[in-house]
Amino acid sequence: MKPDGRIKLVSELLDLPLIDSEGRYCGVVDDVELDGAAGKTLRPTALLVGPGAYSGRMPGWVMALVRLLAGSRITRVPFSKIRTIGSAVELEVPGEAVGLNKSEDRAERWIPHKGAL
Amino acid sequence: MNPLELTLGIMTAVGGFVDISELVFAAKAGSTFGYALIWVFAFATIGIIVFSEMSGRVAAVAKQPVFNLMRHRLGLKLGLVTLIASVISSLITCAAEVGGVALILNYLTGAPYLILAVGLTVALIASIWVIPFEWIERSYGLLGLFMVVIAAALVAIHPPWHQIASGFVPQVPKGLTTKELLTFGYFAVAIVSAVMFPYEVYFYSSGGIEEGWSIKDLLTNRLTSIVGMGLGSLLAISILASSAQLFGPTNIDPEIPGTAALQAAIPFGKWGLILALLGMFFAVAGAAVETCLANAYSIAQFFGWKWGRHKKPWEAPRFTITWIALFIAALAIVLTGVDVMTLVEFAILFSILVLPLTYLPLLLLAGDRKFMGQYANGAIAKVLGWFYFAVVGCAAIAALPLYFLTSGGNG
Repeated sequence: MKPDGRIKLVSELLDLPLIDSEGRYCGVVDDVELDGAAGKTLRPTALLVGPGAYSGRMPGWVMALVRLLAGSRITRVPFSKIRTIGSAVELEVPGEAVGLNKSEDRAERWIPHKGAL
Repeated sequence: MNPLELTLGIMTAVGGFVDISELVFAAKAGSTFGYALIWVFAFATIGIIVFSEMSGRVAAVAKQPVFNLMRHRLGLKLGLVTLIASVISSLITCAAEVGGVALILNYLTGAPYLILAVGLTVALIASIWVIPFEWIERSYGLLGLFMVVIAAALVAIHPPWHQIASGFVPQVPKGLTTKELLTFGYFAVAIVSAVMFPYEVYFYSSGGIEEGWSIKDLLTNRLTSIVGMGLGSLLAISILASSAQLFGPTNIDPEIPGTAALQAAIPFGKWGLILALLGMFFAVAGAAVETCLANAYSIAQFFGWKWGRHKKPWEAPRFTITWIALFIAALAIVLTGVDVMTLVEFAILFSILVLPLTYLPLLLLAGDRKFMGQYANGAIAKVLGWFYFAVVGCAAIAALPLYFLTSGGNG
């Protein structure tokens, strides 16, 4: 499915994994940013990725726990960067180009780069 | 389809089928109820074949493992509940496997159990770090085939084959008291849980992605599920039948995992015992690796992290940190000194409670033509899938009352 067609936000987009142009997993569609107003056509403008985007989808006490454990970071991925939507959302750029993969990069510093066949 | 790859895959599935829970409950079921619970093993094996085939098919066609799509299907809240429940269940299972392997090592070497548990965990972590994915799976699975000595031992003791064959017919033994009937029910539920552990489906589908399965691998997936798990189940049934023949009449209760190895010692002597213990060691160590990786797969897939052991550990860093942390957490549980049998019982209980949450989204996904196209569930998969979903739902409802009423199967 191309991102410019009609999309059922919940059943066809929300909570799908994101795969960047290098074929790497780089998050999940945690929320969707919409542009428009009451009575007018709503258009999705960006995917929101990160624990901060759970807000509104989780009870308050769970969100407090999420903030404590994972922070409240949100990364905005413009809709124009989506290549296709299917069993995953495929991006046409590397994750780094839209601000994804930062946590992976930080975690990588803790891992020794040797010993694996 | 490469015949060598297929044979290796099937043999790996056979060797990897038996884990600590099956080992314990097969032996206890045989000594307590003779051959009357064989049909439950066979029945549950069809269930795990149905769901494994489905999860492998979803991996090959939708190119996504179960947990990636589970959150999309269940939503964030229910998905998170499923994730937490399955992480607890698989962590306890992993601790039971680590404790079980340490016990087996203790039988083989006589070294202190807790020191062995620490050394073993370090060795398991090192093996996952160093060895590429397909050889992690194969080496443990293939070396687990040493357990075939228990099946050979069953043949050697000339069991009553007609009674074993009649055990495949669904039955409840006649003349049981209410207490014995409840215990029979508890064993039946525990066997269903042990054979259909949720981690097996997570591991199998993620393994399919690790090995790059595509539509051309669908036949391999089907044959590996049916033949590999079918033969693996026969191995577990041979433990039950040997136990019925050797331990039941003498009222021996195989309370510890190593008792099953004695089944090979009786006809084959010392070497039978050593081979059985080696087979048990690799089969249960393989299960420890699978439960730990399955848990890390679930967490990484739920949050959209890079994952997989086909990558170098530093190429999927959060996944790597997760599986190492889970192994350490499992070891910490073992180091509290909790009895392995208690861990096995908790693993069984938690797993049966998680099973419906695991299998419902899989059923929905595998039947969804939007994701699966022409490879969506056909009539047979649909009927069997929903039937087994109803069965695990009933088992989940019955599990806790049966556990408390029978004091964990001890009457």
